[in-house]
Amino acid sequence: MRVIARRLAGHLVRGLAMILVVTTISFVIIRNVPGDPMRARYEKLVEQGMSPEQAERAVAVLYGFMPKGTMWEQYVDYMRGLLHLDLGQSLSVPGAEVTTLLASAATWTILPVLVGTLLSFAVGVILGVYAAIKRSSKLGDVLAVSGSLLHGLPQYVLALLLSAVFTTLLPIFPASGTADVTLEPGLNAPYIGSLIQYATLPILTYALAGYGGWILAMKSSVVTVLGDDFILAAELRGMKRGVIFRYVARNAILPLFTILALSLGLLFGGAIFIERIFTYPGLGLLLLNSITDRDYALMGGAFLLITVAIVIANIIADMLYTAIDPRVRSGQEAS
Amino acid sequence: MKRLAAAAVSLCLAAATAACGGNADGSAGDVFTTIDALKPGIDANAPVNPYNPKGNAFRGFNAEWLGWTKNHLTDPNQFYPGVAQSWQIPSDQSSITLKLRPDGKWSDGEPITAEDVRFSIGLAYTQGGTAYALDPSAAGTASDIKIVDDWTIKITQAAKNPSSSFVRSVMETVIVPEHVWRGVLPADFWQKLKLAQSDAPGAEVARAGITSLADKVISFAPPRDVSAGPFVLKRVNPGEALLVKNENFHNAANVAADQVRILNYTGNEQVWNYLVSGRLDSAPFTAVPAGVMRRITETPGNTIVRGYSPVSMGLAFNQSKKPYDNVHVRRALAYLIDRAQVTKVASPEGGTASVTTSGLHQEAAKAWLGEGLAAQDPYRHDPARAESELRAAGMKKVDGRWTMPDGSPWKMTINVPASFSDWLAGAKAVTSQLNDAGIDAEVVTTADYPLYLEEMAAGKYDLGFWLVALGPAPYNIFQRLYGAQNGWQLFGGRLKHVAPGTEGNWMGGAEIIDVKGVGKVNPGELAVKLNSVPEAEQRRIVSILARTANQDLPVIQLWDYVNTQVVNTTRFTGFPGDDSDALRLTSGVWLQLGMIERKGRI
Repeated sequence: MRVIARRLAGHLVRGLAMILVVTTISFVIIRNVPGDPMRARYEKLVEQGMSPEQAERAVAVLYGFMPKGTMWEQYVDYMRGLLHLDLGQSLSVPGAEVTTLLASAATWTILPVLVGTLLSFAVGVILGVYAAIKRSSKLGDVLAVSGSLLHGLPQYVLALLLSAVFTTLLPIFPASGTADVTLEPGLNAPYIGSLIQYATLPILTYALAGYGGWILAMKSSVVTVLGDDFILAAELRGMKRGVIFRYVARNAILPLFTILALSLGLLFGGAIFIERIFTYPGLGLLLLNSITDRDYALMGGAFLLITVAIVIANIIADMLYTAIDPRVRSGQEAS
Repeated sequence: MKRLAAAAVSLCLAAATAACGGNADGSAGDVFTTIDALKPGIDANAPVNPYNPKGNAFRGFNAEWLGWTKNHLTDPNQFYPGVAQSWQIPSDQSSITLKLRPDGKWSDGEPITAEDVRFSIGLAYTQGGTAYALDPSAAGTASDIKIVDDWTIKITQAAKNPSSSFVRSVMETVIVPEHVWRGVLPADFWQKLKLAQSDAPGAEVARAGITSLADKVISFAPPRDVSAGPFVLKRVNPGEALLVKNENFHNAANVAADQVRILNYTGNEQVWNYLVSGRLDSAPFTAVPAGVMRRITETPGNTIVRGYSPVSMGLAFNQSKKPYDNVHVRRALAYLIDRAQVTKVASPEGGTASVTTSGLHQEAAKAWLGEGLAAQDPYRHDPARAESELRAAGMKKVDGRWTMPDGSPWKMTINVPASFSDWLAGAKAVTSQLNDAGIDAEVVTTADYPLYLEEMAAGKYDLGFWLVALGPAPYNIFQRLYGAQNGWQLFGGRLKHVAPGTEGNWMGGAEIIDVKGVGKVNPGELAVKLNSVPEAEQRRIVSILARTANQDLPVIQLWDYVNTQVVNTTRFTGFPGDDSDALRLTSGVWLQLGMIERKGRI
């Protein structure tokens, strides 16, 4: 137990240092992103028929929401705010707290991406084992080809394809949004149903896009394990097929757990293309819009969230690995 | 396991209930579905605040102006009634007296009074604007706001520096309820304003005090929507906004829709999908490729409406760079570019090839110049003439390729933002034509629009695409050619010309131009005068500036935009027709004016 606690403490210290370094680097990069959002806004207002002077003044008002002072002063302010979990105010939605915007977007990202990832993981792993065992059969070939195809298809192509088929040719699902706005939000069947209906295509895209990677990785891992001596020994000892299958699956899935944990960390980055195509207002879309609007505070907040999530996911992956792989555990104890 | 299965079945049932629930496609009831082109990217976290760039206040629906500007070719001061029922403007535009409706009410039942208008003007001062500039030397500012009675208010223009933009600026004031917004302005606001508008000691501090209120105004989040418009916001989620009819609206009986759904979108392709599936009752102008437009028009009920759009696309020169400082080179390029072909590629549905380069959209040019338009050089596609112009500029042709006068290679680069597909297609069509004519030309894309504008202002580009002819106000039109980007800067009513390559002067044109038949012209100075002179004088100035632009070619006008909109007549009828003066207004304005009718209703 003490070993685990010491290990966890080490991870946390390293994680905090990592977050500090990444936050500093991303702060510098973000503040140096070229482009003038105010000039773009001015142009937009002039195009809408506003006189140049009027547009200039309207834009000047927004300068109040821009970060002020030298880069160093801005950095100190930013880090001081971070200590109080204050990520500042958004420029693109003037007056709105960055934490509020991130929390709102996270709601629309976590569940669909989590469901999509777990679904693709479960299906990919199960079919991956089958594809490995039946690798000399037609079923094995079909599974492997399906994996390669879906793995090779970029997420945005898949999303556009599903969108074209299910929202335009066969309009079964809504093209964009999160829920039918005419329904009263709350724990009622029509609203929950609407949430599911609107989330179906983003989840399906995410699941299909991930499935190819999982099935191929699992198949390759199982094939490797099948060649190990302990499997041969188990077969020679006349063990039942079910027991051997358990041995295979347990050993083959180990490397995939690390990838899964990291995928769950990346979950906070959202799925930019999927969210953009389905106008699903998650963290990916928020990040994309914040870059377009040069909303420095929002960009910084989004990057920080992704960094923290990945660091935490890494720690969880490492701790989980210890729990599920006795070899790692015994190695630590020995040391 | 059984519990899990039960949960899964429940969720499926819930989804099925929603799917079969009826109005997910917006077709049940008198629901009008549209998008708001002024505010792509609905944000459910934004307040119901018309001053906030992302605010969930939709113009014409739940955000109401005093009046709605008509799409007129030459006169920017024609309006449809909004909060103001009628108005009186003396011929010298020295004031505007607004008459409100005595029975006008907010959506919460409170009366709309002159006090609300005065308070809204107070808020507008914190944001700036032509009529509400705090700088006493600025042109076209309001000097006095006087409540005549509960429903009448008179706004007087400062006599010192009048502007023809004053009336429009006042009419485009958004009106908010004083009883909801009261706490946003301090009690001594009007005393401070009086001081700020003067030259008295403390005026500067008072101006800073009022300007500092801007953040507070933009960030203010009313607890609920109280609207003077035909609709009131009921709910907004990240995908769409739902507005319901404001029963207190003065013309509620003639508002055809009970509900309005404003759909969110983040890119044009989503608008195309909405249109192909027939979801939208109206969609404002969106650039659409020909193939997609064909599919859109195949959808039952979808109808195309076209009208004047005071915007043209120009290929702008940085005259600080060689050889574009030479007018013969600019003219040669104008003769070489086949604008009809470029338009066919870049904007087949939303544009028409410019007939010449005058700085004016061809429709406005006809109205402003009349027969004078015929006197302009049309710059028809003429390679032979282009060749003689290039030779006049000293350019040389070696092995079929044009070089600089000293024999060094001439490499032309046109910059466009990567995200604007029609601009990119247009630039590629231009370079293709120029390459065929022996000029090494290429297109370079910039990651996005903010970066494009920053680099352009810094003078990094030789040539770039630039929107011109932004009317209808003549000053706004010529300011695109002879404004800050070409060196003329207006500060506190005073004009100065800065050197090319400094302070945002990326066009780098000459301050004085010798115009054939006119003489020496300072186009920036003339453009500013357009703001304050009577109409007859405006016509004379517009004629001079059009000739200057035609001869000197700070830009080559490529195509004039056509306001191409899609309306669907399956559920509603009565939409404005081709060339209607209401086409540039939102469909919320059409609904509130009673233009749109529910189909089948007499």
